[in-house]
Amino acid sequence: MDGIIESITQFANQEPAIFALIIGIIGAAIIAGVVNVGAMLLIWGERKVLGDFAARFGPNRVGGRWGILQLGADAIKLFTKEDIIPAEADKGVYVWAPIVASMATMLVAAAIPFGALHINGQDYPLVVANMDISAFYVEAALSIMSIAVFMAGYSSNNKYSMLGAFRGMARMIAYEVPMGVCVISVAIMAHSLNLVEIAQNQTLWYAFAQPLGFVIFVIALITDLGRIPFDQSEGEEEIISGYNTEYSGIRWGLLYFQEYNNALLGSILLTLLFLGGWQGPIIPIPLLDIISPLIWMLMKMIIVLWFFIWVRSSLVRLRIDQVTDLGWKWMLPLSIVNLGWAVLVGSYFA
Amino acid sequence: MTTASEVLSSLQSAFPGAIKDPRVESDARLWATVDPKRIYDVCKYLTDKLNFDHYSGSAGVDWIANNEMEVVEIMASHGAHPVVAMLKVRTPRDNPSIKSLTGLYWNADWYEREIWEMFGINFENHSGLYPLLLSDELMGVWPWRKDFKGYPDLTTGQRAVALPTANGYTEFRIPPTPAEIEAGTVPKERPKYPSFREREEAEIKSDSEMIMHLGPQHAMVPGPFLLDILVEGERVRKGFLDVGYIHKGIEKIMENRTWLQGITYTDRMCYVASLSNNECYCGAVEKILGLEVPERAQYIRVIVEELSRIQSHLIGTGEFLTLIAGVGYAPWQYMIIDREHVISLIESVTGARLTHSFVRFGGVRNDLPDDFAEKCKITLPYIKSRINEFIELFAQDPIYDLRMKDVGVLPAETAKEVGIAGPALRASGVSYDMRVEDPILVYPDLDFKVITGTKGDCADRIDVRLREILESIYIIEQCLDRIPSGPIKPEAKVPKKVPAGEAYYRVEDPRGEMGMYVISDGGDKPYRVKVRGPFYATLQTLPPLLEGVYVADVVAIAGSMDGCPSEADR
Repeated sequence: MDGIIESITQFANQEPAIFALIIGIIGAAIIAGVVNVGAMLLIWGERKVLGDFAARFGPNRVGGRWGILQLGADAIKLFTKEDIIPAEADKGVYVWAPIVASMATMLVAAAIPFGALHINGQDYPLVVANMDISAFYVEAALSIMSIAVFMAGYSSNNKYSMLGAFRGMARMIAYEVPMGVCVISVAIMAHSLNLVEIAQNQTLWYAFAQPLGFVIFVIALITDLGRIPFDQSEGEEEIISGYNTEYSGIRWGLLYFQEYNNALLGSILLTLLFLGGWQGPIIPIPLLDIISPLIWMLMKMIIVLWFFIWVRSSLVRLRIDQVTDLGWKWMLPLSIVNLGWAVLVGSYFA
Repeated sequence: MTTASEVLSSLQSAFPGAIKDPRVESDARLWATVDPKRIYDVCKYLTDKLNFDHYSGSAGVDWIANNEMEVVEIMASHGAHPVVAMLKVRTPRDNPSIKSLTGLYWNADWYEREIWEMFGINFENHSGLYPLLLSDELMGVWPWRKDFKGYPDLTTGQRAVALPTANGYTEFRIPPTPAEIEAGTVPKERPKYPSFREREEAEIKSDSEMIMHLGPQHAMVPGPFLLDILVEGERVRKGFLDVGYIHKGIEKIMENRTWLQGITYTDRMCYVASLSNNECYCGAVEKILGLEVPERAQYIRVIVEELSRIQSHLIGTGEFLTLIAGVGYAPWQYMIIDREHVISLIESVTGARLTHSFVRFGGVRNDLPDDFAEKCKITLPYIKSRINEFIELFAQDPIYDLRMKDVGVLPAETAKEVGIAGPALRASGVSYDMRVEDPILVYPDLDFKVITGTKGDCADRIDVRLREILESIYIIEQCLDRIPSGPIKPEAKVPKKVPAGEAYYRVEDPRGEMGMYVISDGGDKPYRVKVRGPFYATLQTLPPLLEGVYVADVVAIAGSMDGCPSEADR
């Protein structure tokens, strides 16, 4: 074990460019798998948990009594459905919207650390592209989804979709700013824009160090993910799924899937920025101690995602004017207050 | 307290010679035939001087033997007195025409349009006599007249053919047969009017406005009706309603079924409130027959009807919650689960979950099961605790408040004027409940409150419904304590033929005031059954409420009315 790591480190030191390329290729394959499988599990999990909240069973037929293959059945259905493109749609944009959405998620996934391996008393973060500004980059790439939503809604040539697209855009503008300010506040406290360093520097979780920023970030994140109570761009009962009304078959499936991919990545981002990342006591059992940071990471993520589902089952949807009101009149000023707090405390700690 | 005879004498002194064949049936019912020339003035006098501020609807009757058409205006009051005046206006059968009351009552619009398209009675000075329930091709055949033969003749076995239309779409129609054309069943001339589409498009004033269809297939509508909104961005400028997508012609069908068979059709008008529909029809027939309902049967009827109110309010509220919160919202599932307990209770009595056909002329079909009281003692306290939880939950939810408070506000005066019915009317602070105004069965002996709201916004409408469930539970508990033993059916056999006569009977449906006007000509079938449905009245009030609200509020307002389009399109 030690020998292998030593030779890898040696190779990395000798040929940094080739090493980065190899890591990138392997990593791209792995994250594509991990994120998509994770999103599938998340969809299944959401249905199960949502069912629990509503005193139902959730999926319980396909694949045994836990309904674990439900998503496979749904995927087969979506793949075999007719792909309908409205005659009056802007075809190029219409076709590209789901692809842009998928690309956006992969861009985020490239720079986000999924956890770490604990080997020989040291944490090796699992990240494909370890950039200096990854916090900023991830936050920016996460909002490309909003552009895909706008593309989908605007190109459909449908009244519901158009309202959905406009709502999505108005919401995005109102919430990206406070969200960005919160990321900056965290970076100031951590003295770094690198997600890996932010996670590692959290001796005290930033959720406690800047509680205001944490609350704002959670709300802004739910908004960014387009989940209830901030799913105005879908508005299932008023504008009939909004931006994706006209989508069918696998194109709809892609858009739907990206929402869950984003939710997964959003929960990772929240964990990294505010909940101490993968930090936690090392489990003193051989082999388990290697993945113990991963286990902590996963547990925190599950709690965050469970919270999102809890919110969905217990809150009603806000109106779009109330959402933008909240964004501009409360979230933005408060996030700037939090920025001031972060500067104060951050420089004190420095 | 004003009584029917006082109203009559006041009318006779104010309009000498205009009131013919008056009949004071009871303190609360006045029947009279009014001179067609004076009907507008008589109604105006009733409203201005005698507090008849509730135009409850109108019924058309085709008296083919006398070669006359009749319109019956049903006038009542919003709680000032219990008198219902049934004012008949007769007009010759060829070229029938009477004065419109739309100038006096805002809500006369839909009732008059319905009579116009069904009977072909023209309403003078009506500003928008457009078809409401019928499709365009049926206009001019006047399907509810007694000499209507059916259109098109389906017995010929012809299939629908595709006919291209001017706007590029294809319509599928069954063309009239040559025999029909010869016999004159097919109208040679159809009334001329702008179509629904043209009417709404005429309202578009600028390029930034568009018309959005919410319905007939839409997640918002509980059944098919078309609600079009003219929007500018997120703001609604105007609402347009079109109903009739599932019009079943139940009133006409019942003319061709025996008295007993009619009960089954009342079930299908609104399947979440079929027991009160049963009650309404049977009560009207009992009035004509002069049947006395045994006391035990009266109690059973009250029990099942209140249970039906509970389940109807639960699904009405639950469905509404999905509109503002999505189907993932847990409380709506809780309501459906709780409703299941209530339905099981009703099922144990009637044997059916939704379409009960349980109420019979002079009684009920069967007695309560032996363990019914025990089952109720388990279920009702549970439902009560759950409802209290829901009330508390909605009172504490700030986002619920943001979406519901001061949305779709209907002040008491406006609510009375537009003739909205049931919990929606009571939410505006008008205490108007048929169980108190026009008491039937054993309701006068029971102790219960009429629940009213204060502001008349969406939150009030939901709150009133939830608290009405608590009152219903209280009523059922009293009934279970007091119910006597005894027969549940009249001793003598109910005759197959009902003596000639007429009756108007009102019940408090879960959705509000439901009335049935039944005429018998002494045969084994009704001569005419007119249903005054509560949701028909409520639906009409929707468009003015939507002016100026946000698109998201449209579903909140429409949903808070607890719609049952099936009953509006009975």
